[in-house]
Amino acid sequence: MSDKNQEFHPKGTLTILIIFVLTLILLWGSVYLILLNRGVTI
Amino acid sequence: MSANTYQLSQEDKKFVGLHIFFAVLALSIGTLFGPLQALEHSGLDLYPYLQPLFKSYYQGLTLHGVLNALVWTTFFITGFLTLVVIVGLKRELRYPKLNRVGFWTMVVGLVMAAIPILLNEASVLYTFYPPLKAHWAFYLGLTLVVVGSWIEGYGFFFTFAAWRKENPGVRSPFIALAAVITMGMWQIATLGVAAEILTMLLPWSLGLIEGTDPQLARTYFWFTGHPLVYFWLLPAYISWYGMLPKQAGGKLFSDSLGRFAFWLFFLLSVPLGFHHQYVDPGVPAGWKFLHALLTYSVFFPSMLTAFTVIASLEYAGRQNGGKGLLGWIRALPWNNPSVSAQLFAGILFFFGGISGLANASYNVNLVLHNTAWVPGHFHLTVASAVTLSFWGISYWLVPYITGKKLLNEKTATWANWLWFIGMIIFSNAMHVLGLLGAPRRTPLGLAPYIPEEWSGHLLRVGIGGSIMFIGAVLFVVTVARTAWSKKAEPAEVEVPVAEAIHDPQDTPQWLDAFKPWLIGTIALIIIAYGPQLVDQIANISLNAPGGKVW
Repeated sequence: MSDKNQEFHPKGTLTILIIFVLTLILLWGSVYLILLNRGVTI
Repeated sequence: MSANTYQLSQEDKKFVGLHIFFAVLALSIGTLFGPLQALEHSGLDLYPYLQPLFKSYYQGLTLHGVLNALVWTTFFITGFLTLVVIVGLKRELRYPKLNRVGFWTMVVGLVMAAIPILLNEASVLYTFYPPLKAHWAFYLGLTLVVVGSWIEGYGFFFTFAAWRKENPGVRSPFIALAAVITMGMWQIATLGVAAEILTMLLPWSLGLIEGTDPQLARTYFWFTGHPLVYFWLLPAYISWYGMLPKQAGGKLFSDSLGRFAFWLFFLLSVPLGFHHQYVDPGVPAGWKFLHALLTYSVFFPSMLTAFTVIASLEYAGRQNGGKGLLGWIRALPWNNPSVSAQLFAGILFFFGGISGLANASYNVNLVLHNTAWVPGHFHLTVASAVTLSFWGISYWLVPYITGKKLLNEKTATWANWLWFIGMIIFSNAMHVLGLLGAPRRTPLGLAPYIPEEWSGHLLRVGIGGSIMFIGAVLFVVTVARTAWSKKAEPAEVEVPVAEAIHDPQDTPQWLDAFKPWLIGTIALIIIAYGPQLVDQIANISLNAPGGKVW
């Protein structure tokens, strides 16, 4: 196990996960807007 | 000594191979009905041409669901985990005969369940909700498949315990621990469906009791039904964590994170089934809310998995010479069909996770419930993340078992691409249709009242499903030719077991101990399910007579 391995910082991975979270918010939010547009029934 | 030096005996290879044979056979038959469903949605109903062999859309949908979601997965998983336990622990099974008994019990159960489905006596879909009533042989057959998988699980537990005894103080190998956690979770999860079948459906179908309680039956079913998804996914994760990094040219980013994620799945997989019952009137809103929170908690180990697996791939890509923030992605061995299948699986699961979170949201679910969105979602999980991963595993597993080179990589690569492209078209159309209000489990092609705005998407369902079908045919042809064609060249294939970047021995002991996690899991299930189960059982009403409506 080299020092290089121990210092590995997965910056690309964090970028992909940030993209995932943003996509999640966008798509989840779009479905939520459909829910709101259909009106509240109480 | 690296983990991949241990070789299975010829008997064990044959035993694992038998599992894969039955799995692929089930996939082959079950997948035949996929395009029939999809084309029916786009207006081309081929079922009348299959009379009298296959009677209806619902018989086809039952065959599709049972053979693909239950049989393909369960046989593949038990076979793959047999190999994982043996290779991971570098020892033979403690009681090989016990595992053989488990396997043949599953086979007997499969035949027993398949006959009534083929005779149109059990067209109750793979969820078999009462009051739809199937032939008793269907319920007994499914029970035997589950019991067989339990017995195979006992074989893994005894083997793991023997290894522990022989290796005191040594951290258990990750892939073997993960396999045992998966089967442990399965033993707990299937108690729900066991209770449903043994206390209600089987005696009802035999005429011993007059009716069922559909509400309690659904509660029992979803006690098993959601963790069933993790029973499918965790073996794929074993490959993603413990094998794919090696195939991609790297190492597992963190052994500890992998173990932690698997223990969290063990803890959280079961006590969240009410999120499938948000519109069930018999479950109080407070319990649905609790299960919604617990469902969201599974997002944490899911993100741990995404981080660890992608980081392992990033490490591999950079070892292969990849540069820049995302340039390492191109440096992954995309030309290896085993790798590309699993990368495609991960990409599709990216979207499957998002649509799953929408399902899990109490309010948002009301927009999606029982719409085409739901099969759109689970085709991204079981038919993408799981199935494509199992294809990827098969591309080295079948050569390993048979001692022959994959015949050939080109058809395997085409199979992956076609499934990937077909799934994008199909699942996107299904999700959009769901948002437009199209119901699931409905032969939409027969309906005269379809809104105009659905039609283009229904056509995409047919096109996507057909493309996927060609991909599935290529997969089956590839593994069948590898196994049986005389053209397949001999080859020495190794099981790809990834080393971790850090020494697993540094992993904390609490991530290698069953007791605290088992106690925590049982306690959480009692809290999340106990009061509701007591209430529903105390108020049981066996007054739904049921019947055969197809």
